[in-house]
Amino acid sequence: MAVEILKEKYRNKVGEVVLGATSDQGGTRSHTITVGGEEALPFLHFEGEIPNRPVLVLEVWDIVPTEWNPCFEKHYGDVWSDPAAWARKCVEEFGAEMIQIRLKSADPDLGDSSPEDCAAIVKKVLGAVGVPLIIVGCGKPEKDNLIYNPIAEAAAGENLLLGVAELENYKAVTSACMANQHNIIAQSPIDINICKQLNILIAEMSTAMANRIIVDPTIAALGYGIEYSYSIMERARNGALQGDKMLAMPMIGNVGLEAWRAKEANSPTEDEPGWGEQEERGLLWETTTAMAYLQSGIDILVMRHPEALKVIKSSIDDLMKDNS
Amino acid sequence: MGLTGLEIYRHLPKTNCKECGLPTCLAFAMALASAKASLDTCPYVTDEAKAALDSASAPPIKMVKVGVGDHIVELGEETEIFRHDKRFFHPTGIAVLISDTDDAAAKAEKFDALEFHRVGMDYITDMVAVKCDSGDAAKFKAAIEAVAGKTKKAMILLAEDPAIMEGALAVVADRKPLVYAATAENYAKMTALAKSKGCPLAVRGKSLDETAELVEKIVALDYKELVLDSGACETSKVLANLTQFRRLAVRKKYRLFGYPTIAITSKEDPREEVAQACVYLSKYADIVVLKACEKQQLLPLLSWRQNLYTDPQKPIAVEAKLYDVGTPSENSPVYVTTNFSLTYFIVEGEVESSRIPSRILSVDTNGISVLTAYADNKFSAEIIAAAIKKSGLEEKIKHRKIVIPGYVAVLKGALEEESGWEVMVGPREASGITKFSKDNFA
Amino acid sequence: MIIIGERINGMFKDIAQAIKDQNPAAVQEWARKQEHNGAHYLDINVGPSSATPIEAMKWLVEVTQEVSDLPLCLDSTKYDAIEAGLKLCKRPAMINSVPAEMAKMERVFAMAAEYGAEVVALAMNEEGIPKDADSRIALAAELVATADAFGIAPDMLYIDPLVLPCNVAQDHGPEVMRTLREIKLISDPAPKTVIGLSNVSQGTKNRELINRTFAVMAMANGLDAGIVDANDDELMAAIASARIILNMDIYCDSYVNVFIQRNR
Repeated sequence: MAVEILKEKYRNKVGEVVLGATSDQGGTRSHTITVGGEEALPFLHFEGEIPNRPVLVLEVWDIVPTEWNPCFEKHYGDVWSDPAAWARKCVEEFGAEMIQIRLKSADPDLGDSSPEDCAAIVKKVLGAVGVPLIIVGCGKPEKDNLIYNPIAEAAAGENLLLGVAELENYKAVTSACMANQHNIIAQSPIDINICKQLNILIAEMSTAMANRIIVDPTIAALGYGIEYSYSIMERARNGALQGDKMLAMPMIGNVGLEAWRAKEANSPTEDEPGWGEQEERGLLWETTTAMAYLQSGIDILVMRHPEALKVIKSSIDDLMKDNS
Repeated sequence: MGLTGLEIYRHLPKTNCKECGLPTCLAFAMALASAKASLDTCPYVTDEAKAALDSASAPPIKMVKVGVGDHIVELGEETEIFRHDKRFFHPTGIAVLISDTDDAAAKAEKFDALEFHRVGMDYITDMVAVKCDSGDAAKFKAAIEAVAGKTKKAMILLAEDPAIMEGALAVVADRKPLVYAATAENYAKMTALAKSKGCPLAVRGKSLDETAELVEKIVALDYKELVLDSGACETSKVLANLTQFRRLAVRKKYRLFGYPTIAITSKEDPREEVAQACVYLSKYADIVVLKACEKQQLLPLLSWRQNLYTDPQKPIAVEAKLYDVGTPSENSPVYVTTNFSLTYFIVEGEVESSRIPSRILSVDTNGISVLTAYADNKFSAEIIAAAIKKSGLEEKIKHRKIVIPGYVAVLKGALEEESGWEVMVGPREASGITKFSKDNFA
Repeated sequence: MIIIGERINGMFKDIAQAIKDQNPAAVQEWARKQEHNGAHYLDINVGPSSATPIEAMKWLVEVTQEVSDLPLCLDSTKYDAIEAGLKLCKRPAMINSVPAEMAKMERVFAMAAEYGAEVVALAMNEEGIPKDADSRIALAAELVATADAFGIAPDMLYIDPLVLPCNVAQDHGPEVMRTLREIKLISDPAPKTVIGLSNVSQGTKNRELINRTFAVMAMANGLDAGIVDANDDELMAAIASARIILNMDIYCDSYVNVFIQRNR
């Protein structure tokens, strides 16, 4: 009996964004990475092309991440005082496909490093690894607005992914990206309407930037509102495929950062004997968060635990197999 | 959606006899489609046509129950492809697999103890699957007996040989286990067995086509307590097939796929198995069977199930009470917020990362956020003051200072008057809490 | 709602003159203006007084396609003119229109199948426009069933339930609304629906207000497309708003601009 399978007919696809640039493209990356381009819902290869794998990133901080769970010390403790060495270890040893540098040191409360220092850190990491880079500020807009331009200029030609732009604060980072041809992270607070509006505002500043946006819908961790961001991403992706060009951007999420804020990832085994062994629980909390978002359309996953990254990588291998 | 006019028209005699009072059979079909006429007014409609038209009024996916008493697991009756369109109704049954070559009793005991408590909720691993790997009827039966002795939760019996299944059912049929599985080779016997014992039956083809064919044959044997397995085991193929089961049942009312589904993990590595189960759980499996049995492996999956099956229309609330962050003392600061879970968890996360032990008073606002609750008069000075009283804060701390969200700074005066406490206006966004607490409490 | 821009029509003096003079300026200006303001299709009608409708249709199709990539909606009661136009269309077009009359349906559906064209199908027959919804729906069902026999999928049809001016046939209003809803019960996939919007306000004062009120009400009842004045900004804003209320587009503060600009 032949079952007539149901394939959705979509009018649009997700835009493709290329990250990084090789030497003949004006950069120094060993290769570029393309994200987005989906013509169907996640991994439904039978109804449209899924041309690019979701990309696995590890996060690197430019200060020692004393607030991270102690279990990370054995993985990163030997390198985490040197962002370049840390990045190199992530790529060479743990298989990160990209690196995200979080410039925590720029935070006025955490060292207040100067814009020039921040740019120098980026240069140093660019020198240490060949993969394309994601650079985000310390999270305090008034300071971050000062560092975007120096970084964008210092890394001109490298086709970075730089962020973050927010509804109340998008102009400085957008101009920095425009002037030096980088890509931008447009972040909205678990709100699809703001997500769309911010894309429009960036596109109004520069039509060229419209094709360089990666959306960060702000993801929540498993157990802490994941279903809100999951549904927002599903709606955005459905909207994109049905023709809403202002939502048709690839999506990024800070999976590791969010998952490791959860009590379930961090509570020591002896405090919560009913929850099982802590590090394994934490990395599976991160893994499960990532796997859920893979089903709602995430394109770039910023991970933290190297073992979680490994599991997700092999799961993506499986999900990318043709199923038509 | 019911049948369309053209679908009904196909079952009508197409004679345009006008005896129903309408000029054409097509007009009559349209009247039926919009429920303005009844099929009885057509004197010439056949019994087959009647039966076909009747079945179209059933829900798109049938409900099937596994287990008995307090441990019944209800599966199916889903109506959506995306949870944001309405909601998912019956949470996926998560089953731990025990082989009859394992120490079944020990594993079952461990399984039965798997219950988790987090954020005020209890999560339970609700099913246990026992698989015949030995090929030995006596051994399988013994394993079933051992498992049944250790847990009352709903069971799934996995054996391909109807004779072996019959032996097992002799022990546990009254527990209404899911019989897995009817295949092209054994379906006649398996169906007879499941039907005679009144147990739900899993149907496994080697493809979607073969599964549909098998369902048709089993329905012809007058048995409909079915659960579907497309027979695929590669993650991506299972995802595609589960998607087709759901889509065809819901969008096309394809009757042969109008049953709940089951997916069994294929990975050996427990981490990869959890990841694979997460795919099936997210996309439409009504039962997921996995071998992983450790607490740290199941807690994330059960949490995702809980989150996925919440009602998106209904804001979820945390219990309105006083929460400790870290180990607060009698001098620790107190923050007040609503009991909208997202707000609460974000505030909690920020307070936690401030590294200053604190308390958070979550006020009952029916689970809505700060500004909405304020506008709705559910987060007023009177209500907050009453919550402070009720929380027992006054016995726990020495000071009389409370931090309110910056968005409701306007409440400061009234709340001070109402409560007699000193009110500090906190940041508007939770992200400002770290700095705020450093500035004020470090 | 799918916007079919109505302005390239020989009924308008500037277009009639353009055809007569073979001067494409006015036609091309309207093509650009309608596209700019959010039209998804351009209606092409040589007008009632053309002596050489076939030649006029060919010319209009060619000069319009010189400046716009939008698909065309070839609007004529003369099927030879439509066929001549279809041969020149660069993208699959829409045929406007066919009533539920067998001979005409045979001609039009055969042509639609050959050219892969969509079809505007009118809920009327030799006896004219029915008053009540049931008769309109029965005619719609007949159109769908006949198209099906020609291998044309139901969703290639845009059923026009036909609205009459609200000052002369007020009682048709609710019937049209019900027709729009129940047409969706004919088949799966359901046929689409379309309305020639300006009919409803013919001969009234407040034409634009009536048009946009009708448009949003019809959308609430499931209307898919309208043959409308795409340069009526208030109408376009009302349609964009109705799409938000009906959860057809995802809200953002700039939603009106997004709706109008989506083809750019």
